[in-house]
Amino acid sequence: MAIDTDKIVHAVMHGSRIREEKGIIPLFGVYLSMIPVEYYNKISFGFERKMGQDGSAEKLLVAAGQECGYATFQGIRSSREWDEVVQPMIEHTEDQIYCFVSIAIAFGWGDLAVEELIPHEKLVVRASDSYEARGYWDAYGKADAGKCYMLRGVAAAFMDLVYGAEYPDGCFQYTAIETFCQAKGDPHCEFVARKAAL
Amino acid sequence: MIINWPEKFARKGHELFLSGLPIALHCHHYNMNLQKTLESSLGSDGTLLLYQAAEESSYAGFTSFLQHHPKINTTKSKLELASTSYQYCGLGIINFTQIEPEGGRIVSPHSHHVTGWLAKFGKRETPGCFFSRGWIAGALAVIYDKHIGYYRVDELQCKMTLARECVFEVVIA
Ligand SMILES: [Zn+2]
Ligand SMILES: [Zn+2]
Repeated sequence: MAIDTDKIVHAVMHGSRIREEKGIIPLFGVYLSMIPVEYYNKISFGFERKMGQDGSAEKLLVAAGQECGYATFQGIRSSREWDEVVQPMIEHTEDQIYCFVSIAIAFGWGDLAVEELIPHEKLVVRASDSYEARGYWDAYGKADAGKCYMLRGVAAAFMDLVYGAEYPDGCFQYTAIETFCQAKGDPHCEFVARKAAL
Repeated sequence: MIINWPEKFARKGHELFLSGLPIALHCHHYNMNLQKTLESSLGSDGTLLLYQAAEESSYAGFTSFLQHHPKINTTKSKLELASTSYQYCGLGIINFTQIEPEGGRIVSPHSHHVTGWLAKFGKRETPGCFFSRGWIAGALAVIYDKHIGYYRVDELQCKMTLARECVFEVVIA
């Protein structure tokens, strides 16, 4: 059975319209929020500016994305909604990654696509119109390095979850770089995740 | 006027919008980790950044919401818009019953940030709702037709420290 992204997107859209009386959105094993993308961009790039250009902010923001991607998608794949909607589409281990990408699209993280997947070895994900790249470009103009820290961490987290050690011991076993970024003027953003050097 | 929020939540291709404003769905793991990263790296500068980012984005968001809904033109209906949008966005429950243009108190019995922080990191020693403080400051500035930064919002007690509810105090900055 092929991965039906539309079906996954539909399930997220449907589920995220449901509120319990506390104003919390519990869906796919996590608590969701809807916050303007402008907020996230102000935080990430404001943080980077305050920390200075030595790369420490970048490292922390990518790590935050990866740790969260790891915990978030573990919650997601352990949820009832995953069992109902997603699990029936999965035939091979690799299919999980395609489902994770569909959920990330449903969350409004960009127009993501898996370009290449070599099991255990390498994942290449492409994004056009990532909100991080767009936000950086709009606020500061052309960047001299990739700016999609959240997506970069998340791409590595997908590999950690599928090919790393059993949860919760597998985080940061993979690492990702951003080879192209629209914030640098590239036609799209591209993330390449591989095994982290020991 | 009651807003039909589900109708305002729309997908255009891969982008999500709430009443015309680009939004993203993120979960408590990411939101709390960002907060912790900023707070532990920059201390009060980091929490100020969280506050100001929330204030600026809620200011821009409410300005846009009210432009889309010109019939919402009384203070009461604008405050109601603020609390229903907070709830619809999964941010929690917020009560604007003791608020005037000069400031006042706001109580929040439940919130995404409190639930998320307690689930992920457990009890805090100090109040931690920096996002909500900024969000309130930005929303009230639009509702009372003031400039951004007009209000200062502090948190007198916080559920993250196991208080019964979060209580915010609004004063003119
Ligand atoms: Zn990028
Ligand atoms: Zn609080």
